[in-house]
Amino acid sequence: MKTRRHRHSQSTKILRGILVGAFALAFIFSLGAVRADETCSSPYLARIEGQEEFVYVWTLGVEGLGDGMDKLVTVDLKPGSPDYGKVINSVSVEGRSEAHHGGFTDDRRQLWLAGLENSKVFIFDVHTDPAKPKLMKTIANFAETTGGAAGPHGAYALPGRVLIPCLSNAKDKGGKTALVEYGNDGNYIATHWLPTKEEARGAADAQFADGYGYDARVLPRKNALLTSSFTGWNNYTMDFGKLTADAEAMKHFGTTMVMWDFHTRQPKKVFQVPGAPLEIRWAWGDKHNYAFTATALTSKLWLVYADDKGEWQAKEVAPVSDVKGGVLPVDISLSADDKTLFVDCFGDGKCRVFDVSDPQKPKQIYEKPIGKQVNMVSQSWDGKRVYFTSSLLAHWDKQGADNEQFLRAYAWDGKELRPGFDLDFTALKLGRPHHMLFGSSKLGPARTVATK
Amino acid sequence: MNSLGGTGAVPSDSLGRHSPRRTGSGRPSISLPRRSLARKVAALFFCASLSLAADLPRDPDYDYDPPAPGTYTLPVVKPAGDGALLDSNGKSLNLRELTHGRVTVLSFIYTRCAAGKACPYATGVLNQLHQLSVADQLLAKNLRLVSMSFDPDYDTPQRLADYSDAIREEKSGCEWRFATAKSRSDLDSILAAYGQTVDKRRNPSDPQGPLFHILRVFLIDRAGRIRNIYSSGTLDYRLVLADVKTLLLEEAKLSKQ
Repeated sequence: MKTRRHRHSQSTKILRGILVGAFALAFIFSLGAVRADETCSSPYLARIEGQEEFVYVWTLGVEGLGDGMDKLVTVDLKPGSPDYGKVINSVSVEGRSEAHHGGFTDDRRQLWLAGLENSKVFIFDVHTDPAKPKLMKTIANFAETTGGAAGPHGAYALPGRVLIPCLSNAKDKGGKTALVEYGNDGNYIATHWLPTKEEARGAADAQFADGYGYDARVLPRKNALLTSSFTGWNNYTMDFGKLTADAEAMKHFGTTMVMWDFHTRQPKKVFQVPGAPLEIRWAWGDKHNYAFTATALTSKLWLVYADDKGEWQAKEVAPVSDVKGGVLPVDISLSADDKTLFVDCFGDGKCRVFDVSDPQKPKQIYEKPIGKQVNMVSQSWDGKRVYFTSSLLAHWDKQGADNEQFLRAYAWDGKELRPGFDLDFTALKLGRPHHMLFGSSKLGPARTVATK
Repeated sequence: MNSLGGTGAVPSDSLGRHSPRRTGSGRPSISLPRRSLARKVAALFFCASLSLAADLPRDPDYDYDPPAPGTYTLPVVKPAGDGALLDSNGKSLNLRELTHGRVTVLSFIYTRCAAGKACPYATGVLNQLHQLSVADQLLAKNLRLVSMSFDPDYDTPQRLADYSDAIREEKSGCEWRFATAKSRSDLDSILAAYGQTVDKRRNPSDPQGPLFHILRVFLIDRAGRIRNIYSSGTLDYRLVLADVKTLLLEEAKLSKQ
């Protein structure tokens, strides 16, 4: 009887806990999603609560500038901080690896940063002290471990692991490449080669498959993994002027995107998307079954979408500009409400802003010169702050006075970009700033939770 | 029933009538346990899910067909970690005993968690799998569910026993164990081995519960190797079921070689 009373008491406490839980849920959903974080990150990533406190900038070393090494630069973004807009930390890694993209693990405790030239992956602890990331591990045997994948392009958080889309392979250093998975411990898990005509791996329309890769992003509720395609090591390490004058080399750019079954990692359908489709941005809306990309060589916006029958399709939806010869659109950023798309154009250094409320008919609503060259753009979740960096690739950046290297912050009010702080990475002897990732000491659940 | 043919081989009525149903929010709801107070507990749980579902857009969280078991592979992630435990009967054991010998679905939870799509959701998914195993002898004999608390100070064996009684509808079906770490140091080493991060919330009275954690559920093969890791965006019981059956088919294939 005593046991029964005891159990009754415990059950009452459980009941109480559930009531508290029900209240909590009602409270959370009455507030709506907390506005925070960067809009283009993995939905599996623990999100930042409140405004971003730091921006981490993965920076290419420049010979003769400072220590000449690739480095992770931390800039203070805490509102009211005396160091706001200033570099507060810099950690150099050994040598120059063609620093490019990176990403956090799903718990946001580690930041994985990739080097395109030598396929090194640097893993930083950003949890112990988010203001002072610490290098904790380097993966230096990437190609050997992965069965020949090379040119790790970034890191995309999945539950307990990271997905690393690659650009090249160790065998011929061309564009045929793979998606690679590592566990959060840095343990290798698997390699998934992009489909080719010869090895379609069950993908429809494999006659178009080129095996090239670039970005890889997931729409969880549709179990959809989408990949895009760029070019291999032979091209991205070549001087840009020499490359564009080499007709044969220019044939070796990606012309496809691939839809995969995310859970099984099996390619399902190949889309013809000529002109090197680069960054992929899935819409966030509950019923928005589409993603945008921009083709660098043809200056077009493309939409990959589910049609009325639920079939995935790809179509060109807008030119990025009417400038003859194109403007080389590179990074893009979609607002959290899926209405506004920022498109950075390396060719003329402008950011073009599109109204994409109707994803089938994007309309340019604004443009602003950011610098002589511009590559990456990161937007806060509330859409009020937009950050830009300048470097594309060490061998592709502009020369002389056009080789501006900066991190520039802007405020966006829905109509125009107003300049904030401006950091000259050359004057600061840091290098070429590339990928930006937001950091904070205040974390919450992943967006797959927050949006439910 | 003994099905390896696919998730579709499970009778739809057993999914719809006897197992926790997926609401419009995708959140599993809990069918009514037999004991009176536990029945009230689960009924409130169920009502909470329904009322929330009514407040949310009617979007399906997992809007796709699950893959057929055996049509894909699950690479080894890493060996499953070990550590000293106490089960819900207060018996000492090692986690290794619960991650070997059967295909195991291991969920890290704490019973005070009230976050909508965290521990209550994960336990609901395990309950779905458990109820499916009642009608599936292959699952009943080969699947093990483990709910492992990372809140040992509160989640005593007695509390875990009560929690188990309140949640589980079926006493038959596959093995479902509830356990907690034997000591704080054991807990820390287990959490580190699985990459399960847990922090105290800044507000200990946070209505979602006093701890903040990433939702992690692990699929472990009979040899004690982690074969998949699920979180809120991927913890779809249909996918977990397909993965479990994929591992069982893999075993069957290997045994013929």
